[in-house]
Amino acid sequence: MAEELRLVSHWSQRVHEVRIGATKQEGGSRAVTLTVGGQGALPFLFKEGALPHPPLIAAEVFDVIDEDWPETLCRDLDGMSRDPVRWAGTMIKDVQADLVCLKLSGTHPDGADKPAAEACDLVKKVLSAVDRPLIVLGCGDAPKDNEVLPVISEATKGERLLFGDVVQENYKTLTAACIADGHSIVAESPIDVNIAKQLNILVSDLGLPLDRIVINPTIGALGYGLEYAYSIMERARGAALSGDKMLAMPFICFVGQETWRTKEARVPESDSPGWGDARERGIMWEVVAAMAMLQAGADILTMRHPQAIRIVKHAITELMKG
Amino acid sequence: MNKVVVTFLPDDKKVVVEKGTNLLSAALSAHIHLNSSCGGDGVCGKCRVFVKTGAVHAEPSGRIRPEERRIGAHLACQTLVESDCVVEIPPESRLDMSVLSKEELALRLRGIYAPSEDVQEAARPVREDFAFQPLVEKFYIQLPAPDFNDKLSDLERVERAVQEKIGDVPLHTGLANLRRLGELLRTSSWNVTVTVAAKGPAFEILAIEPQDTSEKNFGLVFDIGTTTITGQLVDLKKKEILGTKATYNRQATFGSDIITRIIYAQAPDGLEKLHHAVVDVLNEMTEALTDECRVDLNDVTCACVAGNTTMIHLLLRIDPSHIRKEPYVPTANFISGLKAAEAGLKINPHGALYCVPGVSSYVGGDISAGVLSCGLFRSADLQLLIDIGTNGEIVLGNAEWLISCAASAGPAFEGSGMKSGLRAVKGAIQGVSVDRKSLDVTYTTIGGDTPRGLCGSGYIDLVTQLLGAGVVDKNGKLNRNKTSKRLRPGDAGYEFVVVFADEKGLAEDIVLTDADLDNFKRAKAAIYSAVSLLIRHMGLSVQDIRNIFIAGGFGTSLNVESAVATGLIPDLPRDKYVFVGNSSLAGAREYLFSRRAAGACDKIAANITYFELSTDAAYMDEYMAALFFPHTDMTRFPSVKYEKDEGPVIPSALKPRPCL
Repeated sequence: MAEELRLVSHWSQRVHEVRIGATKQEGGSRAVTLTVGGQGALPFLFKEGALPHPPLIAAEVFDVIDEDWPETLCRDLDGMSRDPVRWAGTMIKDVQADLVCLKLSGTHPDGADKPAAEACDLVKKVLSAVDRPLIVLGCGDAPKDNEVLPVISEATKGERLLFGDVVQENYKTLTAACIADGHSIVAESPIDVNIAKQLNILVSDLGLPLDRIVINPTIGALGYGLEYAYSIMERARGAALSGDKMLAMPFICFVGQETWRTKEARVPESDSPGWGDARERGIMWEVVAAMAMLQAGADILTMRHPQAIRIVKHAITELMKG
Repeated sequence: MNKVVVTFLPDDKKVVVEKGTNLLSAALSAHIHLNSSCGGDGVCGKCRVFVKTGAVHAEPSGRIRPEERRIGAHLACQTLVESDCVVEIPPESRLDMSVLSKEELALRLRGIYAPSEDVQEAARPVREDFAFQPLVEKFYIQLPAPDFNDKLSDLERVERAVQEKIGDVPLHTGLANLRRLGELLRTSSWNVTVTVAAKGPAFEILAIEPQDTSEKNFGLVFDIGTTTITGQLVDLKKKEILGTKATYNRQATFGSDIITRIIYAQAPDGLEKLHHAVVDVLNEMTEALTDECRVDLNDVTCACVAGNTTMIHLLLRIDPSHIRKEPYVPTANFISGLKAAEAGLKINPHGALYCVPGVSSYVGGDISAGVLSCGLFRSADLQLLIDIGTNGEIVLGNAEWLISCAASAGPAFEGSGMKSGLRAVKGAIQGVSVDRKSLDVTYTTIGGDTPRGLCGSGYIDLVTQLLGAGVVDKNGKLNRNKTSKRLRPGDAGYEFVVVFADEKGLAEDIVLTDADLDNFKRAKAAIYSAVSLLIRHMGLSVQDIRNIFIAGGFGTSLNVESAVATGLIPDLPRDKYVFVGNSSLAGAREYLFSRRAAGACDKIAANITYFELSTDAAYMDEYMAALFFPHTDMTRFPSVKYEKDEGPVIPSALKPRPCL
């Protein structure tokens, strides 16, 4: 029988707890609110400190889907992906995702260029279709996001949603809107622990409390820089537990987004017979990235394939048993 | 024949060149120096000229606006002459060759070791750390005439007399001296003055002159910087400083940084041109100094130069190309036993040239000289020397050990590559205060002149003030949400107007742009991260350091408070900082004044360990962490607090309300 290692010292700080979603009494409309963060130890090391909240899976839902998605994924999402409201509902009720991550790709000026009002309308519809918290992501075009997201922020005031992403070059408008309307923010940095911290400082300098920031450290899928992401997250979490409050935020990892653009998840079996069944391969590629990110300290995983979500959800339940 | 005549206005200088010569070269042939930071690559846009008449072939450049092109604007370096032509040179394109003003020089030279080292002032007490015993001495000797009892040869007779003065040391002399010696001794009735130069462990008889001229022994001291050259005439008999002058390094015509110049040296005649550019400056300065002090050039027996390794290579016309190639090995660090004439210096033809030895390709003799003059090498306590320039050099240590590193900061602190940047010349804004509410700017300029631009110390003050006023965020971006007539969109990103052109009758507003802030941030991060990494590499903390010496062209007028607030230098009690101004010149002077100092300095150069930052993986991380104001790790700057950013104005549809 292996000898138990004796714990000689404890980490000095816990990760900030971030609450997502607000109930009716709190000024929102959610039946369920969720909390991430609060860790006093590295992932799943229950004997070293408190790990009060299980990691969450947010189902990726898009207002407009990319025609470029692999066939097997499209087939598995068929029937819902043309209707984001139904898509969100299914992912919560049937697939049992913890929350929804709605990306407003359709607002991009190079794409459908949907107006703010339409995007806002969709967010409201999704909010009424599901009773769980929501993550709202802009299209990534700074001027357009600065136009659209504040409108949604105001319209959903009090719901305590998670808005994203702010980056070093564009953080002021969305941060100000979230401060005013009581939302939290996803702060994105390019696989760089220094920039992650710098952005947190900038955002908190504007007046956003530290427990309303979630770090998007930027990840790569398996084979595309996963290990870089892992080491940056490990470093940031180590600094957080050692007392750096400017890095002590939960992580959100965009697993689905990164996985489904890899060659390995996309190439049909006909093109590469040696790689085996395309559907299974894509699912497993997403699962493997998600599992690695859990070990790196991810608090929220955004995922795309229903089957991958089910597998990882089960794994989290098992891991949380300690 | 394919010759054409180019006439330059307003000088009305004409020059005959081959068809197809570019205007930058043609101007140089006419002895007109144009600004050219990029060395003629068409990148910097500083050599703008107007072609009035004649045919030229010009490559299109984004540096010339269409409306300017219509009135004949061209980049001189990208424009080839095809026929006789007339070219007008606007004042801003001309390299400012004027000798620095007195105030400016006093400012540059102000430091603890040369408190009142003024251009015009002569006698100056020098630190008495080393016995005064110059590297070149003159001895008047009255020799006994030979007879049948004393049949020593003429040379041995002279050597015997000299050795009585300086001890039993090896002595050499040249053939030219020997050929004249017999006649000289006899016509001067055996009374001669011997000039003896220390060359390593041996000595050389440089010259033998009739009668007593031993009172007239002078030397020159030069600090050859990438941007500025400072020279001093000293009396080696009386231990006095007779005069000091500073001017720009004319090599700037061929590129503003070392690497560009090394590359230029590979071009045909490139090395030759670079060599002449610097030698000409030294010779002109020598002539001006000797004229003013009424010193005969023949009585100037030696020169001592300190400069970075590349500058010394170029002065000696040694190919510098290996300095920029891995593993960065120079041709020589220790260069001794040279004659000034070999390098083209016009002093006494037998005069000696001393180069303060360097440490490595990127830590040169200017740093060894700095360590000598600041006394790091004999301090019991830990001390640090930071020489801030285009290259930042850092030396850490004490009497027992010394370690150095070099970081490429870029020329931002010297005003290069900045929209309204200016070197520390007359009219450069060097001190700035910004009203936190109205954002009104008050400033001081060098020499009290009309402002022409901002120099390094001006930028440091300005950035600190704008951080304090919430106009610049910690990331170094101008706050677009602040409303002020001084904040506006510019060519690239936003800009903050420091001085409106119409208020002072300038051609353009003096501004600080987002791009300038980026350059500034990179420069300060390079210096700070090098300092920080060097200290960490030795397993020490900044608190362990007793004194920090700041040297460099702008160090003299540096506001310590601002330098700390921007994160350029560590947040330590301000009294730990000591400004030494031009420590390189002071060190070179000590070198020349004392054989012991020279010996000590040679040891310093040999003993300094060079720490290569570029191969250290931690440097990039340190650098990224320093790319923030004052630093990503705020615990390193506990005394720095900026005023809180009030945040942006929310779009009108979204009036800010209290948070939940």
